[in-house]
Amino acid sequence: MKIKAYDERNKKNIELEVDSIKEAAKELKINLEEVIVVKNNELVTESAELKDNDEIKFLSVISGG
Amino acid sequence: MTCKKCLTKPVIKLPNNNISLCKKCYLRYFEKKVRKTIRIYKLFKKGDTVGVALSGGKDSMATLQLLHSLTQQQRTTKIIAIAIDEGIKGYRDETLKFAKKFCKENKIPLKITSYKKEFGMTLDQILKKLDIHPCSVCGVFRRYLLNKEAKRNKLTILATGHNLDDEAQTILMNQFRNNMAAASRLGPLTGIKDDKKFIRRIKPLYFLTEKEIMTYAFLNNLVTPFNECPYAEDSFRSRVRESLNNLDKEYPSTKSSIINSFLDILPILKEHYKTGDINYCKECGEPTSKEKCQACEYSELIRK
Repeated sequence: MKIKAYDERNKKNIELEVDSIKEAAKELKINLEEVIVVKNNELVTESAELKDNDEIKFLSVISGG
Repeated sequence: MTCKKCLTKPVIKLPNNNISLCKKCYLRYFEKKVRKTIRIYKLFKKGDTVGVALSGGKDSMATLQLLHSLTQQQRTTKIIAIAIDEGIKGYRDETLKFAKKFCKENKIPLKITSYKKEFGMTLDQILKKLDIHPCSVCGVFRRYLLNKEAKRNKLTILATGHNLDDEAQTILMNQFRNNMAAASRLGPLTGIKDDKKFIRRIKPLYFLTEKEIMTYAFLNNLVTPFNECPYAEDSFRSRVRESLNNLDKEYPSTKSSIINSFLDILPILKEHYKTGDINYCKECGEPTSKEKCQACEYSELIRK
């Protein structure tokens, strides 16, 4: 699946070809313990299914202070 | 995968017990967990004036939202938000804007004080003048002002947004540094009961992970865009955090096990490291372990 991903902590937008959110996180070297996942503006779990053109945001749960 | 309770679409897979919950069931779970912490550890009682140390970040915003909603109906517990403006351009001014808006919309009194007002300089200015570790001076001044501001507003207790991740990291850091005396001062309720000059601190989010709090904050529109303090460094804490999150990924519940085993031995640590009489700073009268408190020491350096 071709998806658009956004890594909030590193302010990085990227297009990926992956089959799952876990695979996308692995590509971006993101620990899923440290983010929540928003798919097409809806909060989802890491097991949510992906389809072409989905937009995934990895929002950091770590405080910036 | 569906919500374990009502079979609708889940928003979170709980890290500690491997179940998934939808928005409605998750918010109920979260509030129940905070209520249980308040009840078991007797964090506050009816009639208290509870302050919430508010930075505008997700943890303190979630703490304020929860305590506000839990106490709104009973009317005997008063909630006041206390914010400290350290004077960090492009960082704290942004989060405080959000905090002010939230308090105004929810009619929560918000008291703001600043380093500039209390010490004559913003943190940005202090760091230009002194060659000093930013987090050391900032931490000392923030804790000092929170206590002072709490007394000024006649608070009986002060809530902070500390969570399970913060506490697990601090427990390990104290062990790695062989500082169990500092560890004995941790827990969901801290401070000395009968000291009128120190307002006790409570941590209502003690048993919730950062991920759980972020989920709650997102579902309640309490999330601001990620904004990192310009003085934050790749510190010892960030190394411990990363290791713990890697361990928790592989061995779920590692962080909660650290907290729970620590709470088992905390009464023994408290007894062992019991402090004698508290000193009060000869300059400002605030509680301190020395003759002069660290905030007055730094303050003197700034004035030089």
